[in-house]
Amino acid sequence: MRMELTFNEEWKSDFLKHIEDDGPWTNWELFKLAIEAEKHTTVPSFTGLQAPAHLPHLTPHPYQLEAARRVVEEMNGKAILADEVGLGKTIEAGLIIKEYMIRGLVKKVLILVPASLVSQWAMELNQKFYIPAVVQRKSYVWDQYDVVVSSIDTAKREPHRSIVYEQDYDMVIIDEAHRLKNSRTKNYEFVQHLQKKFCLLLTATPVQNRLEEVFNLVSLLKPGHLGSFEHFEKDYKGKEKSIEDEERLRALIQKVMVRNRRQDTEMDWPERIVKTVPIHLNEEEASLYKAVEDLKRHPVGTRSQFSIITLLREICSSREAAYMTLKKMLEKEDVDENTESIVLNLLKKIESVPSNSKAEKTLEIIQSIEGKVIIFTEYRATQLFLQWFLQQHGISSVPFRGGFKRSKKDWMKELFRNHAKVLIATEAGGEGINLQFCQHIINYDLPWNPMRIEQRIGRIHRLGQEGDVHIYNFATKNTVEEHILSLLYEKIQLFESVIGQLDEILTRLGMRDIEKHISDILLHSESEGEIRIKMENIKELINYHKEESDETRKYS
Amino acid sequence: MKQENIHNYLRSYFLANECPILQEKQGVLAVQLTVDLDKELMNRPFYWHYLEKTGGTPNPMTLTLVTNQDEEMVQGEFVHFGAPRLHQIFSSTKKLASFIRLYENIQPSSHQNAPLHPWLCLNIKISYQCDLKKDRFISLGLHLVSGAVVDDFHDQLSEKNLTPKIPDYTFTISPIIKPASGISRLEKIVEMLISKEDHSWSEEAKRRWAADQLLLDQFYEDNLEAESYAVEKEALRKQYEPVITAEVINGGIFYLSP
Repeated sequence: MRMELTFNEEWKSDFLKHIEDDGPWTNWELFKLAIEAEKHTTVPSFTGLQAPAHLPHLTPHPYQLEAARRVVEEMNGKAILADEVGLGKTIEAGLIIKEYMIRGLVKKVLILVPASLVSQWAMELNQKFYIPAVVQRKSYVWDQYDVVVSSIDTAKREPHRSIVYEQDYDMVIIDEAHRLKNSRTKNYEFVQHLQKKFCLLLTATPVQNRLEEVFNLVSLLKPGHLGSFEHFEKDYKGKEKSIEDEERLRALIQKVMVRNRRQDTEMDWPERIVKTVPIHLNEEEASLYKAVEDLKRHPVGTRSQFSIITLLREICSSREAAYMTLKKMLEKEDVDENTESIVLNLLKKIESVPSNSKAEKTLEIIQSIEGKVIIFTEYRATQLFLQWFLQQHGISSVPFRGGFKRSKKDWMKELFRNHAKVLIATEAGGEGINLQFCQHIINYDLPWNPMRIEQRIGRIHRLGQEGDVHIYNFATKNTVEEHILSLLYEKIQLFESVIGQLDEILTRLGMRDIEKHISDILLHSESEGEIRIKMENIKELINYHKEESDETRKYS
Repeated sequence: MKQENIHNYLRSYFLANECPILQEKQGVLAVQLTVDLDKELMNRPFYWHYLEKTGGTPNPMTLTLVTNQDEEMVQGEFVHFGAPRLHQIFSSTKKLASFIRLYENIQPSSHQNAPLHPWLCLNIKISYQCDLKKDRFISLGLHLVSGAVVDDFHDQLSEKNLTPKIPDYTFTISPIIKPASGISRLEKIVEMLISKEDHSWSEEAKRRWAADQLLLDQFYEDNLEAESYAVEKEALRKQYEPVITAEVINGGIFYLSP
């Protein structure tokens, strides 16, 4: 143990100088007040939370206080905060930062969040926690301010990168940390080289597809906690995992992860009302769809030129989306004549499509709803089309994309809140905005990764939402969409059940990449019947494990 | 700290700094800042710089602090235990009240000159830090003639009637121990006090540290040269290394009757 028991030199020499100069001396009242102030700010115990007493305007939920306590007292200040979306991970993080700052363990904090959340984080920390967080806008901010909020993309770029590495951070916080699941990315490497005395990783979806993802996250936080990569591969990746291995892994992860679920919080959450909306293609759309589907029967040489599944999904979304993909194919230099003629033929079919069945249904729903609506689509072309289409019917909408600059995102959100009825977001816009003032979500096309659906819904089904949340899932009849919906969203009852389980289940099953799995089934099955049987199999498998996992819950 | 205590604290602080109180009712305090306190609290260096350059008349601000949340009619800053303003005033107090010299205000009977003995007082915060932290406040008094040491000195002083000027018919006894060596003596005392404490917390912190270090070494197995290994290793030291520090909050010389 190091003891630094020499009293502060500066005080000593100043004091002696005062004696020599015979003053000036302070008055007795002020002297006593200084001691009173000191006694109020002294923290006599290692344990317990001081932060709540400092935050009279904030009433954290019991599970949030417990999370903060566990992180400080049991996890030594290094944790993955993995509450379900909308349970207030930011509040937990704020409590933890505040606690450390009050105790004088943390002064300099680096907070890395998606660009769209930067100003929101800074605002919340200032207003709710009286933490003087500053948004990184100029490079001098890094060394002149103690608590800085920035996007990871800014921080990792020069000239910032070098300056950031020179800072002595006591705490590093990363929001939407599932973006760091891949250890071979620049972002991962950047964070890995940051000095992390205390560290919080925030994510609602610690495992999206593969078990390595959780390994990578934990290794950022606490390298070696799950062993070295080679050992981890050997111990957990093999098909035949023993129950003991599973248990051991679970216990290890629990040590560094806090995961609250809605149903565990004993709170009255607004309900999710889920409705499936079947869409019937019109004749021309159906014929276009069939033409692409038929490509499956072409010789491999031709077939492989097309990303058939992508095209099918695009057609279900909008002819514009499919058009963009086909057009790109024509622009390729090495396109052969045969392919070209197929593409041209498809383009001709696209031109003959008179209307968009899904868009019409969308319009009908929007017109029947009083409040605001968020539409999620996977395709940029669909987004543009919908904006135009709604405009034609006198409905103003605001587009939202992941690629927007931070200020533009904030601006768009405010536009939506104050002036527009509809917000149209692409997938990349799904995380990083909080829109609890809206109660309706249209899943215009469904993502195949169920974790992404949860991210979408979490935008509005979160703390602060007062009404029930309505979710409309579109599924086009007799297409790939119907299979997806029936598998993921109806049979597994994804929407109603607790999403937290699914990541565990998929991981257990070794179906780490469910999207690819489904793609393969759709592409390589000979008939509708075969598809249905294979999908049925997956369903059975998942449900079987789901029941099992209901009994032994994993990370909580 | 209750809202009422905060109000009283603020009131004492401004009075001790000679700020006139403009208005006071339950939970509301309006004060006229002095030039010094405006500079201390209001963070407007440019204004003061400008004024000094141009030689204008200083116009220090008034400050209205509200400790009762129900006072919605009053325009003012709401001050609570977590409010940055309160902590600014806390640190301002400590800054302004670092050094003191006082005499016990005695009235010797029969006009015989009475002696006052010199004491060195140090108020000290000791912090115990690893990945957790706690503090202990101690107040020590050292008799600068005999070398006797007294604990809870501040509490004892608070009972006494003290004055900044030497009272009539009293005289001070010269210290035999010089203030500088007095400070060193008290440093030794603090060390001794700490050595008698239970240090299991630091043993536990070292165990946590060693455990994490072991994991880290396993993770980097064949790659101990890696830059990130060095970074992580240093981070673990900063996280867990048990350190005890002592910091003088304030102190001074007190001349007391024996």
